[in-house]
Amino acid sequence: MNWQKFFTAFIGAFIFLFVFGFLWYGTLMSGAHQEVQALFRTKPDFPWLILGHIVMAFFFTMLCVRFIPAGGAGASATLGILVGLVYAGPHVISFAVEPLTTKILCGWIVGGVIQFAIAGALVGAIYKPSPPATS
Amino acid sequence: MKRFIFAFIAAYVFIFLWGWLLGGVLQDVYTQAPNLWRPKDETKSLFHWIIIGQALIILAFVMIYASGFAGGGVMAGIRLGVLLEIAAIGMRLVIYAVQPLPGKLILYGSVSGLIEMVIVGAIVGAIYKPASVRTP
Repeated sequence: MNWQKFFTAFIGAFIFLFVFGFLWYGTLMSGAHQEVQALFRTKPDFPWLILGHIVMAFFFTMLCVRFIPAGGAGASATLGILVGLVYAGPHVISFAVEPLTTKILCGWIVGGVIQFAIAGALVGAIYKPSPPATS
Repeated sequence: MKRFIFAFIAAYVFIFLWGWLLGGVLQDVYTQAPNLWRPKDETKSLFHWIIIGQALIILAFVMIYASGFAGGGVMAGIRLGVLLEIAAIGMRLVIYAVQPLPGKLILYGSVSGLIEMVIVGAIVGAIYKPASVRTP
């Protein structure tokens, strides 16, 4: 594994996931979240928010690198879409047990798929395997 | 395709039973934050969403496995399950940062999620084989 490229891809994925999350969930969906205020904290707990994004970005990057070792934005974006769908499942389950609105459910699912598709493309574009050693 | 469907059904049956068991075990934790949940009757009327959500998880999992990890067997399935679940733990931490869920729920949910995805990966890896590596 090319660890230098891996680390760059991880940092890129982390920054993207965090900024996208702020724009999509924190800004664009803010009104929808306000409709069920009791389900959300008044202010996000930032240490957990940052740690969560680090863990998510690191292991998502690892998944892309193991899954598509040659890199490439298109293939990694496809993987990102599938990963977004895996994570859409728990949101659908949450909808059955938490009083979330359908607007929130749809926003979370669409946001997640877009987020991981772009993050995948980013990782695929940045990561390149190590060149074979020459003798 | 037949193996894809078998893998999907077997993993789905497991995740459904696991979820059902987990719901019972974590009952006390859920009652720590009663205002965060729908009333029981309402949840029952929305039960089909739980089935759809679980099916979506397994369908996307098998699709990822079939398109990239296939041929690696049980260990490759487990590896996929572990990577997906640890990234999902990150997502749980993000949810915990914005929703006042009990910390115990996040902890127990993450541990059980890891066990669940290891077993799902093993089931899918054991059943699904790409056409090129199948033995006659």
